[in-house]
Amino acid sequence: MGDANMCVCVFICLCVTSMQNNNIFNLCTTHQVVCINNINFQRKSVIGYVELTIFPTVVNLNRIKLSSKQCRIYRVRVNDLEAPFIYNDPTLEVCHHESKQRNLNYFSSAYTAAVGAVDPDAGNGELCIKVPSELWKQGDEMKVLKVYIEFSLDQPKGGLHFVVPDIEGNMAERGAHVFSFGYQNSTRFWFPCVDSYSELCTWKLEFTVDASMVAVSCGDLVETVYTHDMRKKTFHYVLPIPTAAPNISLAVGPFEILVDPYMHEVTHFCLPQLLPLLKHTMSYLHEIFEFYEEILTCRYPYSCFKTVFVDEAYVQVSSYASMSIFSTNLLHSAMIIDQTPVTRRCLAQALSQQFFGCFISRMSWSDEWVLKGISGYIYGLYLKKTFGVNEYRHWIKEELDKIVEYELKTGGVLLHPAFCGGKEKDNPTPHLHFSIKHPHTLSWEYYKMFQCKAHLVMRLIENRISMEFMLQVFNKLLSLASTASSQKYQSHMWSQMLLSTSGFLKSISNVSGKDIGPLIKQWVDQSGVVKFFGSFAFNRKRNVLELEIRQDYTSSGTQKYVGPIKVTVQELDGSFNHTLQIEENSLKHDIPCHSKSRRNKKKKIPLMNGEEVDMDLSAMDADSPLLWIRIDPDMSILRKVEFEQADFMWQYQLRYERDVVAQEEAISALEKFPTPASRLALTDILEQEQCFYKVRMQACFCLAKIANSMMSTWTGPPAMKSLFTRMFCCKSCPNIVKTNNFINFQSYFLQKTMPVAMALLRDMQNLCPKEVLNFILDLIKYNDNRKNKFSDNYYRAELIDALTNSLTPAINISNEVRTVDNLNSDVRLILEEITRFLNMEKLLPSYRNTITVSCLRAIRMLQKNGHIPSDPSLFKSYAQYGHFVDVRVAALEAVVDYTRVDRSSEELQWLLDMVQNDPSHYVRHKILSMLGKNPPFTKASESSLCNEALVDQLWKLMNSGTSHDWRLRCDAVNFYYTLFGLTRPSCLPLPELGLVLNLKEKKAVLNPTIKPEAGGIGGVGALDLCANGGIHTPISGFPSSEEEDIDMDTVHDSQAFIYHHLNMLERPMSGHCVGSSPVLLTSGKEPPLVEQTLLSMPATPLPAFIKEPSASKHGEHHHRHHHHDHKKKKKKHKHKHKHKHKHESKDKDKDKDRERERDRDRDAHAFTSSPASGRSLRSPSLSD
Amino acid sequence: FIGTSLPSHWNLQSGLRSGSGKTTTSPAENYYLARRRTLQVVVSSLLTECGFESAEKAAVESLTEMIQSYISEVGRSAKSYCEHTARSTPTLSDVVVTLIEMGFNVDTLPTYAKRSQRMVITAPPVTNSPVVPKALAAGQKRVHPPYIPSHLPDFPDPHTYIKTPTFREPVSDYQVLREKAASQRRDVERALTRFMAKTGETQSLFKDDITAFPLIAARPSSIPYLNALLPSELELQTLEETDSSEQDDQTDNENAPTGADKENSVLPPGGVVPAVKPSEETVIDNPYLRPVKKPKVRRKK
Repeated sequence: MGDANMCVCVFICLCVTSMQNNNIFNLCTTHQVVCINNINFQRKSVIGYVELTIFPTVVNLNRIKLSSKQCRIYRVRVNDLEAPFIYNDPTLEVCHHESKQRNLNYFSSAYTAAVGAVDPDAGNGELCIKVPSELWKQGDEMKVLKVYIEFSLDQPKGGLHFVVPDIEGNMAERGAHVFSFGYQNSTRFWFPCVDSYSELCTWKLEFTVDASMVAVSCGDLVETVYTHDMRKKTFHYVLPIPTAAPNISLAVGPFEILVDPYMHEVTHFCLPQLLPLLKHTMSYLHEIFEFYEEILTCRYPYSCFKTVFVDEAYVQVSSYASMSIFSTNLLHSAMIIDQTPVTRRCLAQALSQQFFGCFISRMSWSDEWVLKGISGYIYGLYLKKTFGVNEYRHWIKEELDKIVEYELKTGGVLLHPAFCGGKEKDNPTPHLHFSIKHPHTLSWEYYKMFQCKAHLVMRLIENRISMEFMLQVFNKLLSLASTASSQKYQSHMWSQMLLSTSGFLKSISNVSGKDIGPLIKQWVDQSGVVKFFGSFAFNRKRNVLELEIRQDYTSSGTQKYVGPIKVTVQELDGSFNHTLQIEENSLKHDIPCHSKSRRNKKKKIPLMNGEEVDMDLSAMDADSPLLWIRIDPDMSILRKVEFEQADFMWQYQLRYERDVVAQEEAISALEKFPTPASRLALTDILEQEQCFYKVRMQACFCLAKIANSMMSTWTGPPAMKSLFTRMFCCKSCPNIVKTNNFINFQSYFLQKTMPVAMALLRDMQNLCPKEVLNFILDLIKYNDNRKNKFSDNYYRAELIDALTNSLTPAINISNEVRTVDNLNSDVRLILEEITRFLNMEKLLPSYRNTITVSCLRAIRMLQKNGHIPSDPSLFKSYAQYGHFVDVRVAALEAVVDYTRVDRSSEELQWLLDMVQNDPSHYVRHKILSMLGKNPPFTKASESSLCNEALVDQLWKLMNSGTSHDWRLRCDAVNFYYTLFGLTRPSCLPLPELGLVLNLKEKKAVLNPTIKPEAGGIGGVGALDLCANGGIHTPISGFPSSEEEDIDMDTVHDSQAFIYHHLNMLERPMSGHCVGSSPVLLTSGKEPPLVEQTLLSMPATPLPAFIKEPSASKHGEHHHRHHHHDHKKKKKKHKHKHKHKHKHESKDKDKDKDRERERDRDRDAHAFTSSPASGRSLRSPSLSD
Repeated sequence: FIGTSLPSHWNLQSGLRSGSGKTTTSPAENYYLARRRTLQVVVSSLLTECGFESAEKAAVESLTEMIQSYISEVGRSAKSYCEHTARSTPTLSDVVVTLIEMGFNVDTLPTYAKRSQRMVITAPPVTNSPVVPKALAAGQKRVHPPYIPSHLPDFPDPHTYIKTPTFREPVSDYQVLREKAASQRRDVERALTRFMAKTGETQSLFKDDITAFPLIAARPSSIPYLNALLPSELELQTLEETDSSEQDDQTDNENAPTGADKENSVLPPGGVVPAVKPSEETVIDNPYLRPVKKPKVRRKK
């Protein structure tokens, strides 16, 4: 690489630096016009222009940075003057050099840096426009700039998704449509903009589409005008409410239009032929509207609302300003039971995000949790109102269990990472293999958990300040925002529409007067959950309950809790709440009991809710008045509680505690007590119609488990059989099930679940009892839905699931090939049913093909258990594009499972090809996440599949193959992590000295096969990187550089220039490179010092360094010089190492040396993983 | 001749129909065959009279049939005329009217009857007219109540109008029915799917015997969501049926009642309809329903 190139590189770096720190402050977009005047479905291309009205807020604005990805930009004009521009997207290829490093640590930091380098939140962008010098003067006078950009998109891989079915007819007849999508701020994929949630502006949107199509977008449709040839229409939208670019969306297709009959300003769109479904699905949307408007005492902020249902949706629900895009698969007819609540939830979710997320946007990424939390919280209120308190509490428990499990597994979810301007050295989440600094580096699962936790924390705040205050806070935020939204930009009120953590907290303290600081500190600023272990003893003499609550706060994902905790004790005399203080060292808590004299009279026992019930107290311990104890019954701590109490206490809790959460806890606890008493308690609950149906469903599975544990002593018919017969079979002929009548949904769900649970029963031979199998087969045989007003597709699917559950491994007769002849007779019956079901699906498909899905699972289970030959070809055919997405996912799941069990590299390859080529983004994402959950091998296990080619392929996939889809890239990273871990994949041959880093890993130390002649690719790569290593992290306080004289006019189209830029991309890598290469081994203690210098610097500009291009060249020179040094040292080092190898006798010395290295390495690593690491690269030149 | 054939013309026809093709004959059939034979002789002699020397059997048959129909029609019509005038036995005038009505010139009849070359045919052999089989007497015939005149016909046999409830075991009936319905459906489904599998492409779960459990091959469709989301015609049909008819009660129906309440707790129904009724769609002002504007004539800017 020549010096000249270097120079350019550095130069741009400077430019970047100067832009970074002041983009946010030096310009503001106030209005943007987006005009797409041609959408070609055949070629899948889009042509249009945007015009941004920009308000410079500093004098002499000479560079404008905008976000733009994959758009081809034809020309840029600023106030009608042609403007030169450069385009650079470092995320296209994260690690540019063909380095053989292949370790994820390295990739992650490079990726984070790349994303950061174009992060619009920080004022960065891929597109850098040079303001023509004629206009500089204007900047002085603070005139607006109009930036006009013509662009086109050709076969976009992200941002816009074209669905073009391959059939006869014109595009409208074929149902071709296109819609925008993306994870977080991804609008830059389809038009240039400032792609940040915190940059608000008003919008004018114009879309010219075929006359048979409808273009749905944000804001009000002002008019629709034919083009002159009358073959096309132009839809003119105006969005007067300041909105961030990521909240802009578009959907174009031959949609059927349904104006909501209750609210005429709401319009629904669906694909052709689905209108009847749309009508039914949307018939209750107005209730959700009314609910939110009522609780928030605030009108829906936009003047209209649109819902669009599209095929191949990226996510089920995505919300944009005044419109939402849903998956078409949410539509259902009135005959479908199971989908109804799911769809209603999705609608409610979308609508809650309209208020918080679209109308009120976030100030920065670290404030995301507030918006997700609030929208999740009001969505929860809707659930409570619509589906009832039981459902709500059940959902909260589910969410809590999920987040607890995730945090304990991965080490914590941090809601509000404090980056402190990038100065903080420590990675706030060292346990994760990705950075949480940007939304685009997060793994999808983490983000889902993040939202879940945000909502739960919001609920904790509600517990603290009451719902009334909570709603007042929301109302206040909304009314401030709506006042601001009607103001002109110049009034500087728009920031009221952005929500930040501090603003939210201030609002809370203003409204409620309460200090929720500790709560925020515990759950928001800190990651981890609390893990309690509780046990108790009853002291008869003192009539005191001695409760011991211990905590585990050392294992990963946990934190220590100090503060109040509520304990509810149900005694004979009633239920009593106690608030205990969890303190540093107190484990034991004495709780006085009330019931001194007991059961002298037959008295009813009062419950928490005031109800008084008769109980059979014979099971109780005669000395103790305690019926049951609950710790933190209101779930006001994010915790996991493992509480020990006697089985009879759990049984009482199950029978008599009215809270569904308590009942569910009792059920899971009873699994450990397989006794007749538990059986009775569960059966009673199962029969009790007043009991919440989900509790009853859970009881089914628990009963099956208990029955299996009690196998030898079990009397009577198989568990649940007589119960099912009594509930659902004909009185006169108990072997025949009644004809279906699903009008009572509770019994419907129970009817579906019981066979599935029963099929889990096993006899002494560990087989499913013949009686049970025949029973299920009879259910299938006599199933009669002719008189039912609901579809039985889910019921039939679950009956197939029941068959699947009944399968047990085949008796393996010396590995013989599975043939039809040696098929077990029971299995033959099962297989016959499955075959018939699957074939009938072809003729009469069920809703969402639920039956096919179940059949595929069943077939895979048959294969896995060795009843039929294991063969993925059937699944592969069902996984093809063109099947319904649920079927595809089920088939792919089977292929993934096959890949793991049979260690098939062919299938793995097939899956990975699909990840790269499938038209559906959802399916691609799903494959990788399924592979991640059910990996063919892991970092802990050896496998023949683990080879260099696979490493290369996956590396390529995440490095450059997935640059169009943030989510997919993160999935790829996850999968890579699952397979190979954070460090160098073990299957790669050890590189020459790359193991300096690997010393951290014991493996490398144990295996120091150093090949002296291996022509250090890694080493060279590293050198290169360091050589390029420049300045890339924003350094606040630098004056904007005016002097760069690079001729941007000449380069805006040149490949070469992009190449330079790609070189720049290595800067990110360098951050890591420092850690991995020996540079720091020598200058180990330097960086902190440098950093200090730097920190003190901002006030004083560095004229010598910045102003003179030659100075930077000089600096660069130093870099290189420095490097040479290191190269030498490295060599020396290597030598030494080798030397030592030869002389085994110097073992002690060697160990010491290694230890030292390891220490250094650790230092270096800790340092590099900090956000500020890039800065250290400067150290040599500066200190020089 | 006419007189003898008249009362039995209905029997004649039915007898002929039932008797044809049978080798063994009952006395009643014999009776009709004899008459038919006579008719054939009549036809043959008439033919001879007209100068035919021979005739094909089929032609004779046809003519016989025609003459028989003609005579039958005359009889039927004559009977109608007679009944029309409230009599029960036809008279000559009835026959005459009938013949006139049928377009026959009655005046020529006496001359024709007295023609010289007519052949005289021997009367058919006397056979016993068939015995009307006694109807099975079931129960006692009811006698007329006093207010019904005795000339009115007797009551028919009681079994023809009295409802006789029969009792079968309903339990077993239901079970059998369900059993039958289930196996019938299963058979139909199996046959249909087998047929589809045989006629189309298949996939197999076994490598050794690809016919064992044939699966209709999965075929991707261009718009997969349509089939998956839209209810099938069968389901729509069912829906219509259940809308019109009540859920069947079967023998036990206790899982239906409280249903409506419980439904509310899981999925609330439509809720209160607001003041604006959906029917007033004509006044809806929605930008997507507005007509598309014509492009403006381009003005010079």
